Amino acid sequence: MTTAGAERAKKSRHGLDGLLSTSLGKTGTRMRIVAAGFFCLYLGIGARLVVIGFKPDPTTMRRASGETIAASRPDVLDRNGEILATDVKTMSVFAEPRRLIDKDEATELLTAVLPNLDARDLREKLASKKGFVWVKREVTPKQRDEVFHLGLPGVGLVPENKRVYPNGPAAAHVLGYVNIDNAGIAGIEKYIDGQGLADLHDAGFSLTPEELKPIALSVDIKATHAVRDELEKGIVHFKAKAGAAAIVDVNTGEVIALASLPDYDPNKPPDMHDLTYINRMNVGVYEMGSTFKALTIAMALDSGKVNLASRLDARGTLSFGRFRIHDYHAQNRALTVPEVFTYSSNIGTARMALGQGVERHKAFLRKMGQLTRMRTELPESAEPIVPKNWGELNTMTIAFGHGLAVAPLQAMMAVSALMNGGYLMTPTFLKRSEEEARKTAVQVVKPETSEMMRYLMRLNAEIGTAKKVNVNGYYVGGKTGTAEKVIGGHYSKTRLFTTFMAVAPSDKPKYLILTIMDEPQGLPETGGYATAAYNSGHVTAQIIERVGPLLGLPPRFELPTQPFPLLAKLGFGLANIPAHGGGGH
Amino acid sequence: MLRFLNVVAILALIGSGFYAYSIKYQTMLRAEQINKMKREAKSERDAIAVLRAEWAFMTRPERVQELADKYLDLKPLAVTQIASAQSLPEKPERIDSIGRKLDALGLGGAATTPAASEAPTTPKGKTR
Repeated sequence: MTTAGAERAKKSRHGLDGLLSTSLGKTGTRMRIVAAGFFCLYLGIGARLVVIGFKPDPTTMRRASGETIAASRPDVLDRNGEILATDVKTMSVFAEPRRLIDKDEATELLTAVLPNLDARDLREKLASKKGFVWVKREVTPKQRDEVFHLGLPGVGLVPENKRVYPNGPAAAHVLGYVNIDNAGIAGIEKYIDGQGLADLHDAGFSLTPEELKPIALSVDIKATHAVRDELEKGIVHFKAKAGAAAIVDVNTGEVIALASLPDYDPNKPPDMHDLTYINRMNVGVYEMGSTFKALTIAMALDSGKVNLASRLDARGTLSFGRFRIHDYHAQNRALTVPEVFTYSSNIGTARMALGQGVERHKAFLRKMGQLTRMRTELPESAEPIVPKNWGELNTMTIAFGHGLAVAPLQAMMAVSALMNGGYLMTPTFLKRSEEEARKTAVQVVKPETSEMMRYLMRLNAEIGTAKKVNVNGYYVGGKTGTAEKVIGGHYSKTRLFTTFMAVAPSDKPKYLILTIMDEPQGLPETGGYATAAYNSGHVTAQIIERVGPLLGLPPRFELPTQPFPLLAKLGFGLANIPAHGGGGH
Repeated sequence: MLRFLNVVAILALIGSGFYAYSIKYQTMLRAEQINKMKREAKSERDAIAVLRAEWAFMTRPERVQELADKYLDLKPLAVTQIASAQSLPEKPERIDSIGRKLDALGLGGAATTPAASEAPTTPKGKTR
């Protein structure tokens, strides 16, 4: 019994052993074979992974195309948030020649769907060994669907950004334009690329529109359109060859409006090398004529050598060697400084500049930024044409705006400084506040000088050559400028370049408006005259009248009682009494 | 006992396998949904960009001017049409004109108020 029990117990333990034991100990060789088998299996899988890893991934093709497609750009807005430039999505057709099965068939089908493709050109492209070629950029939605329905392997569609300028030619010269790859070519668009956007794209960062902050310009699109419209009317009316006009905020240096005609539609950019379409405000350099007298008089007043009561001999002509300087509105007597300005006396201003001397004249103009290239955000700029050997004669002619050619916007910068209390600030096309502008501004003339200049501008609009611009309610001041163009090395009496500089309002200056016209013609209603007051002056007055309400400039009908308080303190209380009649035309 | 444990282990294995797969498929489904949403959001954004561009194009000053010249009888704003807040006349003192009239008629006393039927106080409105 005991032995039988023990036997059973042993048996059952043995049975348990049998169930749990894996018999590993006994099957060493078998075990090794299995291990070797699995090792081979995993080696195979590993090798396959390496092979797959080295094989080009079909999706990398897509990524390669991502680098060439038109990158997204930030929106450009005007100062009130209106859209000036934005991106919309369009589809472009591409092909991967290596994946194409039948190249001839593909060419045939694609040219059938996209009729303006050159078949031979396309066949060459598809026959190339390249991984990626464009078939057509920016197809219409209908063409997109048709290409899609062709179902050709190796032909695909990719969304691209297309830059659109909803306002067409308005502010075109400020905005510039882009090429088909959405890279900035001119204007603010090029400036944006220069600010690091291009670098980011090159580094492979494809930025989405949400990541790009819109750029707010200083330009007001409504005012720009109004300026362009008035200028266009003026150019047609006075049969001028070209023209330009701009409005600058004198306290911030912001360019509020800029129009240069003829202009172009940035949606269909013109040939870059065609000089007809240059920005005449920023890229053209011109002899500014009598508007430059403001600078000469400011220099003389600022030096303290001359004050408002000083008299200058303006009798006859001023001779220098064989040159004679005449006055257009000759008075043949000694003129006070305000009279020199309101009669636009060449002799008077020439004498004032001579009184300062060549070196001081040069130094003053350099300080006012008239002798060096002015750089704004716009990549296009022009070097002023400065006489090589600047002698006394040059000083005399430059005093009344002949012999030194500057960009009109550059002249506006200087006159702005004369108006705003003496702060010279480089014009900007980006929105900025007065505080920001003041940080970089340089005081170039005394505040008293600035006030005297405002008084002179106002006086000139009341009784002088700028009466045309005395728009009711805005207390405008102005200065005309008529320069004779140099034709074949001589000044021409009939081909004129007229400028008109106006400030509104004169007591608390806000806007400086400049209009320039190239070869305007005399008309019967102007008595055949083609001088600045009749054409550029007329256009400027139209601009002020139209733009004043747009820019929120409050009109005033009671004249300010004390417009020039500093002058009253200096003993020129007369300046605060409105002038009537007299002088000029 | 051990056999039971083995059965439990196998069941747990199968269960966890099913769970893992279901989680995986759910994740794929969600990921697809997310992608779909993203695509939809992107196409919506693109559509918004197009609409914004179109709005800017339709409201560009040039076109508005053209349409205004064609269809509206408006003239450009003249300087004289702008008034400042200061130039508005002072608010006149409030006059209780009805009360004055009542006083003038001597109808102040409640006792003398005529019956409504006798004399209608308001003239009958003109038919429009």
